Amino acid sequence: MFDPVDDVIERIARQLRRPVQIDPALDGRVMREIASLPTPGGTTALGKAWRWLRRPHQLTLTPLGGLAAAAALAVVGLLSRMDSTPPAPPQAESRAFQFVLVAPRATRVSLVGDFNDWDATRTQMRRTGSDALWTAVVPLMPGRYHYAFFVDGSRWLADPSAPMARDEDYGEPSSVLTVGGGGS
Amino acid sequence: MGIHSVGTSDAALVRRVQTGDTGAYADLVGRYRDRLGRYALHMLGNREDAEEVLQDAFVRAYRSLARCDDPERFGAWLYGILVNRCRTAGARAARRARRFVHDPAALETAPLAGPDGRTEWDDAVRWALARLPSESREAFLLKHVEELEYEDMARLTGAGVSALKMRVKRAREQLQVMLKEAERV
Repeated sequence: MFDPVDDVIERIARQLRRPVQIDPALDGRVMREIASLPTPGGTTALGKAWRWLRRPHQLTLTPLGGLAAAAALAVVGLLSRMDSTPPAPPQAESRAFQFVLVAPRATRVSLVGDFNDWDATRTQMRRTGSDALWTAVVPLMPGRYHYAFFVDGSRWLADPSAPMARDEDYGEPSSVLTVGGGGS
Repeated sequence: MGIHSVGTSDAALVRRVQTGDTGAYADLVGRYRDRLGRYALHMLGNREDAEEVLQDAFVRAYRSLARCDDPERFGAWLYGILVNRCRTAGARAARRARRFVHDPAALETAPLAGPDGRTEWDDAVRWALARLPSESREAFLLKHVEELEYEDMARLTGAGVSALKMRVKRAREQLQVMLKEAERV
């Protein structure tokens, strides 16, 4: 049966599906920009460290008793104690950061931010120790990163212990982490 | 239809890039440039912003290529990066608009300027699409233009399938109303 709504939508979609030609010079601009970047193959120490960090490992965390009382409190800290067999450490210029969220009622939590292109599938946080505690470890180069927690596939949560992002690129609350180039 | 690689050699190209053959990345850029550019253009509403975002997405993808878990699905992975960059650029553009446009009524009644060759219907569609909330525009484009399944859309956007269905439904309703209005004037 003829449906005028579907007809209008189909006309719109047909128009928008028409091929678009983007300036082929863009290819050259991209290639010039990546020419100065390292090979993304992960053959560097950083790449190996990154792959190691993405594999499951058992971590023994520093006791965080005070945090358990909070209904939703997040902290970001330098991962300084890892009792599992030490792997090849990240390169000197990157540092591993442990993101911790206390969210007792959450069923799944992702860490999203500039460091993973805000891809909610890429950095799943894991429940550890207490049922309320979610953690993820991410190596970060010096820089300024926006990030947030994505809870149960629908809820964005900024980190209350970190500065809020002033420019909310995604229209959702987010926090800012600045990683310095120094050793501490 | 879903998000699929254009050819079977995406994975091979990705592996070549990962082993140091930077030139292979040019093939990937050329392969996805126009299709991804279409999405960025419709999402952002102007070519300059779309190309800037597209270039940024390709460079970010290159930097993150070691984290592309499934090179066979490079296209879908790249698409996810572009969707996020469009969100960021869209939010920035919205802030610029808020900062510089102090008379929304004047903006809404301003005549639409377009290059020669565009039909009134083309302009009306662009106009209506630009007036959709960005979330609805994103969902509509992914569903009806890029023809993705809701499950693929959910993976790309991080939104739930129900929420996406609702956004598409609202977008359809709003587009229909706006274009009927446009046809009357």
